[in-house]
Amino acid sequence: MDSKGAHVTESSTASATGGQQEAPMLDTNVPQTARIWNYWLGGKDNFAVDRAVGAQVREAFPEIVDMARASRAFLVRAVSYLAGEAGIRQFLDIGTGLPTADNTHEVAQRVAPESRVVYVDFDPLVLVHARALLTSSPEGVTNYVDADLRDTDKILQAAASTLDLTQPTTLMLLGILGHLADDDEAQSIVKRLVGALPSGSHLVISDGTNTSKQVVEAARIWNQSANPTYHLRSPEQIARFFDGLELLDPGVVSQPRWRPDPSSAGLPTDVEGRCGVGRKP
Amino acid sequence: MSTAEQDGGTGGGPTVRRMLLGAQLRRLREDKGVSREDAGWAIRASESKISRMELGRVGFKDRDVADLLTLYGVADADERAALLTLAREANKPGWWHPYGDLLPNWLQYYLDLEAAAALIRNYEIQFVPGLLQTDAYARAVILLGYGGAGNEEIDRRVGLRMARKQLLTRPDPPQLWAVMDEAVLRRPIGGLEVMRAQIEALEEARSLPNVRLQVIPFRAGGHAAAGGAFSILRFPDQDLPDVVYIEHLTSALYLDRRDDVDRYAEAVGRLFIEAEPLTRTQEILRSALHELDAA
Repeated sequence: MDSKGAHVTESSTASATGGQQEAPMLDTNVPQTARIWNYWLGGKDNFAVDRAVGAQVREAFPEIVDMARASRAFLVRAVSYLAGEAGIRQFLDIGTGLPTADNTHEVAQRVAPESRVVYVDFDPLVLVHARALLTSSPEGVTNYVDADLRDTDKILQAAASTLDLTQPTTLMLLGILGHLADDDEAQSIVKRLVGALPSGSHLVISDGTNTSKQVVEAARIWNQSANPTYHLRSPEQIARFFDGLELLDPGVVSQPRWRPDPSSAGLPTDVEGRCGVGRKP
Repeated sequence: MSTAEQDGGTGGGPTVRRMLLGAQLRRLREDKGVSREDAGWAIRASESKISRMELGRVGFKDRDVADLLTLYGVADADERAALLTLAREANKPGWWHPYGDLLPNWLQYYLDLEAAAALIRNYEIQFVPGLLQTDAYARAVILLGYGGAGNEEIDRRVGLRMARKQLLTRPDPPQLWAVMDEAVLRRPIGGLEVMRAQIEALEEARSLPNVRLQVIPFRAGGHAAAGGAFSILRFPDQDLPDVVYIEHLTSALYLDRRDDVDRYAEAVGRLFIEAEPLTRTQEILRSALHELDAA
């Protein structure tokens, strides 16, 4: 096996569904969430439909760009803590999105090069980019799974070919639970995934909240055309995802307030969202 | 749409520095609310000259840049000096200068862009991607186009193609995502021995961390057959647009309008999705080798 194959494997599940008939199509007629986020973050991997809805949302709610950046910055701080102080070496990142600077495996492997990371997404363009760009350190492993968040069995089964799910694992759900309209369904998916992980595992969540008129209007615009739809929750609903877990300080807070980098000047400005990290006892 | 041939006579200096300077001049002009026409008037030139300057398609004269900076209210001496230095550097020749006599302007332009790219997405239907060709395979391809040339010229053309390849192994190399039609592996350009060595070289290239190579099998229909070969270049600087490059026999087409680029990005995205997955490439190369041996 060559050096590339040794460190970048593709799950059997992903390649088993990669046949010509089943290959998911690249749809440039319907705006897609990963591509709209890419647009807000200044990337070029988006199409006219994505830019159109992205620009409309930004007009109704200009802070969306700060929010997109604040969510990425939270990811960096949370993963640095988990790979560092908390000593976690396995990460299951569902809803990867298009690669940007500081992807989960880069942050984790900067701290602990042996970290193993499984990315899960169902956008075919995300998988094209992920397979090319999200390549592991020689000591660690990255893997990609083509699956929907609702398909928890498939996710866990495919992840188990890369991660030892009897060892503490970080489950990352960033900006993805909002795509589930039904709160009970979202709660039960989180419970199923966390339930499959051992004590000492961590749950990382970040999502938008229905805390201002502008953000509610932005979500309404999004839901007129973009795929999948996005449903804002209340801060209390987001906090409830951590029921049964030990919530780490400072709790469920607006993204910039989660352990801000002490070197960053001034007080963080709140965004219309909440994030948190919980530990499974 | 534009063809680089319109730019004849510029000497083809490092295109990307021109594009960068052009993008900055455009931003300064727009910030100041100056029209292209007024900017053109200030440097005794046409509106379309300003447009070409801002797209990095022409060289810069010191005096023009200095006058524009004054018009745009750039008074800070350091800022002026930095932009004027960039203008001077943009007129220096590219790495390919020793081969300049062999290269039409449209190809010089491409070599500049290629050297500056951070990501090259490439679709090939007939030939192995230029950056992955062996010496002997490249010679066979070049002989197809320049059969009448003398040995010395052929050697230099092959030398140039080999020099281009160095960018894949330099420090901080670009990513190359290439997708080839199966036909590339079946057509023994240069004969069986040359093709055999070329396929072995592809096996080696795919283990480079910055190279990903996929093959579209004959049985895949539709998109794979929808067009000819092309490349899309992306640059590290976010201000620079992606550029689509389509080579013709005697010229090339460069597209950088967003809706044109979108169509090719979509096409190449579909090709990556519909091609055999990366994990199958090694097996496909092996079986192409076996079939060559059986032939």
